[in-house]
Amino acid sequence: MRTPLSFLFLLITTMANAQNAAPSWLESTLYGNGKINVVVGVVAVIILGIGIWLWRMDRRISSLEKEKGA
Amino acid sequence: MKHWWKFLGIGLLVIASIAALRIPLAPALVHVSPDRIAPGPVDVTVTGYNTTFGNEVKVRLVNDGQSVCASSVAVLDASHLTARFDIPSGLRANLTDVVVDGFTYPGALFTEGLGTGITSSTCPEPTGAARTFAFPNRSILYESIRNLHFHVPMWFTMIVLMGISVFQSIKVLGSNSLERDLAAEMAVRIGLVFCVLGLITGALWARATWGAFWTNDVKLNGAAVTGLIYVAYLVLRGSVQDAHKRARLAAIYNIFAFVLLVLFLFVVPRLNAIDSLHPGNGGNSGFNDLDLDNRLRVIFYPAVLGWVLLGCWMYDLRVRAARLANIMDR
Amino acid sequence: MKPTEIAALLRLEVALDLRQRAAWAGMLLYVVSAVYVCYLAVKGGLGLATWNALFWIILLFAAFNALARSFQREDAGRQLYLYTLVDPRSVILARALYNGATMVVLSLLSLLVYALLLGTEVLEQADLPQFVLAVVLGGIGFAAVLTLISAIAARAGNGIGLMAILGFPLVLPLLLTVMRASKLALDGVAWSVTSTYFGGLVLLDVITVSLAWILFPYLWRD
Repeated sequence: MRTPLSFLFLLITTMANAQNAAPSWLESTLYGNGKINVVVGVVAVIILGIGIWLWRMDRRISSLEKEKGA
Repeated sequence: MKHWWKFLGIGLLVIASIAALRIPLAPALVHVSPDRIAPGPVDVTVTGYNTTFGNEVKVRLVNDGQSVCASSVAVLDASHLTARFDIPSGLRANLTDVVVDGFTYPGALFTEGLGTGITSSTCPEPTGAARTFAFPNRSILYESIRNLHFHVPMWFTMIVLMGISVFQSIKVLGSNSLERDLAAEMAVRIGLVFCVLGLITGALWARATWGAFWTNDVKLNGAAVTGLIYVAYLVLRGSVQDAHKRARLAAIYNIFAFVLLVLFLFVVPRLNAIDSLHPGNGGNSGFNDLDLDNRLRVIFYPAVLGWVLLGCWMYDLRVRAARLANIMDR
Repeated sequence: MKPTEIAALLRLEVALDLRQRAAWAGMLLYVVSAVYVCYLAVKGGLGLATWNALFWIILLFAAFNALARSFQREDAGRQLYLYTLVDPRSVILARALYNGATMVVLSLLSLLVYALLLGTEVLEQADLPQFVLAVVLGGIGFAAVLTLISAIAARAGNGIGLMAILGFPLVLPLLLTVMRASKLALDGVAWSVTSTYFGGLVLLDVITVSLAWILFPYLWRD
């Protein structure tokens, strides 16, 4: 549990640092490419959601197979 | 070829997703510095977004229809330039627009030394650059406008799945078929997956755009009520033991709830004329006139169809797995 | 479905309720104590919006409390007997009518108690006929939605808990519309503005009752 959490933390801090290190016009305008991170997040959430669904479906079918074998 | 719709769905998703992520945003001006001008020479630095500033770029100021041309322009790179102006005294309006080629940054400069107007100069017109296919560049949204092709299809898919569920429920009332009941339940379960995805992606986008994960908005209330209704549907199913009775009660609740939900989602907002942050409601301009222009639509509708087909595929798999489980239990 | 049947069923409801006067007393006590708790909690002047919101929340819970009994007070045997005698559509219509009337009485009594305890300043600038109309239409709407839900919950054999879970998301469209309408009425807005809301409320009520009318016979079959 500890490792994924620290990895997540690392990911978040690097993202934040990346924003900090960006050229100054980015910060001063608040506009620039920062907005693409929202799209990345949204796509990640959807892939994660479909992935979780697939995982559960996999478990369901495994239990069916086990039942058939028994 | 009975699997054609699965290929169609995945194909559409691939194409629409690549297009949604790769198509550039239309160029726009995003920043002008300084933010105020006074009579005399002044250097104005303009920052563009996805622009291609070149040596032939034409820069001018527009104040209440009167133009001031740049005396010299220094292009720093494709998205930065500095233009020098000799500001005459006697401009009429408080705010001056900056125009670079075809792009305008309205109200960029607070203007001092006002008067009754100047003699407007005729600036050289930009050579019309060929416009490439691009998404519209809306302030505040910018790149996140691409989310339209990911977040909104979740809701379309959910509504389609709930519609399938209601269709099956109506069949249940006519036939008392447990098979249909199973299909109705599974459609709701897959629909709820998309409801959750829609809520989370919506919250992320809202946080970045409106500054809060949740706002008291018609669309958000509609989403919350939809979630509550279908969770209640599953609770109802869980609390009845007899399969035939469960099928009938669940079908009745499903139909009743769906009709009220459609009223809530599509009629009440119009009736109440509540202001919504979402496009197409209340004081906001609708998708039709401004926001969802043809450039977005060309990608949006295939994306919706792709997601709907994916949802149907998931529903199909779920029903078949549940049917198998039923057969094996017997 | 015959008018005489409905009339007979209505008489039956009234007779049953007269025999169970404690139930009515219970409902009234519920409203009075809810209002009194609010009175103790807020002490003094309420803003118009809060006054309105609090009133509808009290009324919402009173409606759940009152209408939960609708199908739960009779056992399955007597229901079966009833439905062999009459058309189920008459039953749902009679019950919806009776519940509507109950809710109108209950809402108006609630309004009286509420206004007495929490102050009438809010009502002074209000368009009173409009506000009362909103209260009446809202009460009927609650009755329309919750009658069928009460029947479903009773058939599921699971009492008031299930009814709250099933009913709450379904009354929300009505609640939001009626709260908006009554807020406008309290602001003293002209009929020309509020009439769309009242039209919408009537529409919601009619659609809900007709849905219940269509679906109830299926609920009844065993």
